[in-house]
Amino acid sequence: MRNIGLIIMREFKERVYKKSFIITTLLMPLLMLALSAAPAVIMFFVRGETKAVSVIDQSGIVAPQLESGDDIQFVVIEDGDLQTELKKSLESEEFGVLFIGSDIVENPNNIQLYTNQSSSMLIEEAIAGQVEEIIEAERLKALNVGDLKRILEQVEVNINLSTFRNGAEQSEATSSAASSFVGIALGFVLYFFLVVYGSIVMQSIIEEKNSRILEVLVSTVRPFDMMMGKILGVASVALTQIAIWGVLLIVISAAVIPAVMPDDILAGVEAVRAGADAAAMVPDMDIEAIAALSSIMDTGYISQIVLLLLLFMMGGFLLYAAMYAAIGASVDQVQDAQQLTTPVMIPIIFAFIILTMVMNDPNSPLVVWCSMIPFTAPIVMMGRIPSGIPTWEVVTSLVLLYATFIVMVWLAGKIYRVGIFMHGKKPTFKELYKWIRY
Amino acid sequence: MSNIITAQNITKRFTEHTALDNVSVEIPTGSVYGLLGPNGAGKTTLIRVINRITVPDEGRILFEDKPITQQDIYRIGYLPEERGLYKKMKVGEHALFLARLKGLSRYEALVRLKEWFVRFGIEDWWNKRVEDLSKGMAQKIQFIVTVLHQPKLLIFDEPFSGFDPINANLLKEEILRLRDQGATVIFSTHNMSSVEEICDHITLINKSKNILSGRVDDIRRSHGNNIFAVQYRGEESAFAPLAELCHVLESDYDKISGLTSAKIHIEKNEDIRSVIAAVNEAVELRSFTEIIPSMNNIFIRAVEGSLNK
Repeated sequence: MRNIGLIIMREFKERVYKKSFIITTLLMPLLMLALSAAPAVIMFFVRGETKAVSVIDQSGIVAPQLESGDDIQFVVIEDGDLQTELKKSLESEEFGVLFIGSDIVENPNNIQLYTNQSSSMLIEEAIAGQVEEIIEAERLKALNVGDLKRILEQVEVNINLSTFRNGAEQSEATSSAASSFVGIALGFVLYFFLVVYGSIVMQSIIEEKNSRILEVLVSTVRPFDMMMGKILGVASVALTQIAIWGVLLIVISAAVIPAVMPDDILAGVEAVRAGADAAAMVPDMDIEAIAALSSIMDTGYISQIVLLLLLFMMGGFLLYAAMYAAIGASVDQVQDAQQLTTPVMIPIIFAFIILTMVMNDPNSPLVVWCSMIPFTAPIVMMGRIPSGIPTWEVVTSLVLLYATFIVMVWLAGKIYRVGIFMHGKKPTFKELYKWIRY
Repeated sequence: MSNIITAQNITKRFTEHTALDNVSVEIPTGSVYGLLGPNGAGKTTLIRVINRITVPDEGRILFEDKPITQQDIYRIGYLPEERGLYKKMKVGEHALFLARLKGLSRYEALVRLKEWFVRFGIEDWWNKRVEDLSKGMAQKIQFIVTVLHQPKLLIFDEPFSGFDPINANLLKEEILRLRDQGATVIFSTHNMSSVEEICDHITLINKSKNILSGRVDDIRRSHGNNIFAVQYRGEESAFAPLAELCHVLESDYDKISGLTSAKIHIEKNEDIRSVIAAVNEAVELRSFTEIIPSMNNIFIRAVEGSLNK
């Protein structure tokens, strides 16, 4: 035990005291923020060029009402002939030709877009949208009911369904959108940790094997202790990183958001928290958004999630790190590990796909099963926990996960013991099996 | 003298070959014990079995006449053939880490390390990074860490590989000094001259088998072929009357000094003393020495001999 401790300490110091660790830990959240904001920023600054579209309108109804915008510039050709315009268009730099048939109001399919370049969904939708509106208006006009448009607008209803968790001490507002967002985000964090820190374990074992430091250590440290020290050492680094991020998140949710949010929204949040009746009193506001905000600002909720995240992260990490350690011990070069890491990567990627399905229904049979199977459980559970699942499911999943981890470490230890002295050849799965039996 | 290590009928099989085949070795306490053998003979495997790194399929290891336990490992210092260090660590910190793994307290390790660093004149390396050390420098650190916890038994696997002659000499002196302080030293090597210089006992392993074991002096003597070097005043012909007693293998007369040097073979059943007396009668004898074969010759002959069997 003393030796495992010494190895963990060494591992921890070597990684955490490095500048790169401090920098990544602090920059990562910023980077994530930047990444999620990037598409909007890019959209804002980089506008697509305006596309010119010639319009030949045989009906004479649609063309005058088409509105050119930043994206599309409509050029109406009076009495144009389609064939000659198409030829002319090819030589010009315009986007294409829009042909509208004379019976467009009665037969809305009599409209074609001929493009000189590859078409784009956005342009097509923009054109179709405009034309639809114009034809709708024409048809309404034909019915000859005055003010019909205004009547229709008055009739239109938009429902915001507020959901409350039944059975909690006070009926707590929940937001499925927020839950699934938090779930996906956590699942992604976990996925990231399994892959990144798992391969750190693998790579550093390969490195130690090649630098022959293992030969020096092995006389005083049992191979199993060496492997556990390595896994737990890297785990402690990952844990430190997660803890720093967790603290940052809690600080943000407890202090920063209330400070920057407008008062009326905060009042809405208070109302949602107070219960259903009060929530009904909040008019005219996006209930969903307020419920989401309420969840994020609930420090207790965040702490609980962080705790569960840590439990599943540790379990998942230990399980996968044991596999990565076995692979690292059995090869000489990172390149050789490729083939062996495939069966490790598959369940991780599969779990990630399942995670996206959690968004639709956190309790569908497939999702529930995958949150019990230890290899997919850590990631899938991250998606399910924020939406609130029975405690027994969490406990069962955790017990299965940690039990599997113990079995996996035992197997990995056997491979590791033989593998660290094997140099110069790439083992096959058959050989790994032999090493386990050995 | 009792044995610190007794290996009894050790057999170790790997999936494709047998690394050790019924090997028994007794290593006397306080000796410098050489494990010799060509590459791939099984030396490193035997060392790993002694170290409890590898578990033998058959046979057992006794440490001071009791089956070896994990606790005994702390009384062994092992310097493997392939040895490395963490490149990114500072030398002092690294040495401390390894010393503490061997069971020393932080304080004890620090005191002893400082002593050794002074002895080797490398105090200023303490804060260097390991990656800045040359191979020889790293070897010194590894050596220090191996002996730091004052183990009763030291095992060096090919300790001289990678050392320049000056450092190899330093190492030899340290090995002998440690023996004088009461440690037992086992080392494996190809370097036969070092065997003659510092080993008391050897075991020669070839093709997984122990083919020769014993005290170096005894082995060399027993492998002697009764060949003697004789030097006398006078010409070669002066030896002619002795042809019945011994067989002259080669001889060489040096005009300037007037001396002849000859190699002679004496039959096993001949009495050496009477031969010397006869030679002494016939010529003015300057020297008469037995030519004891070098370990190198014995090594090659033994290995080839076992090949022919």
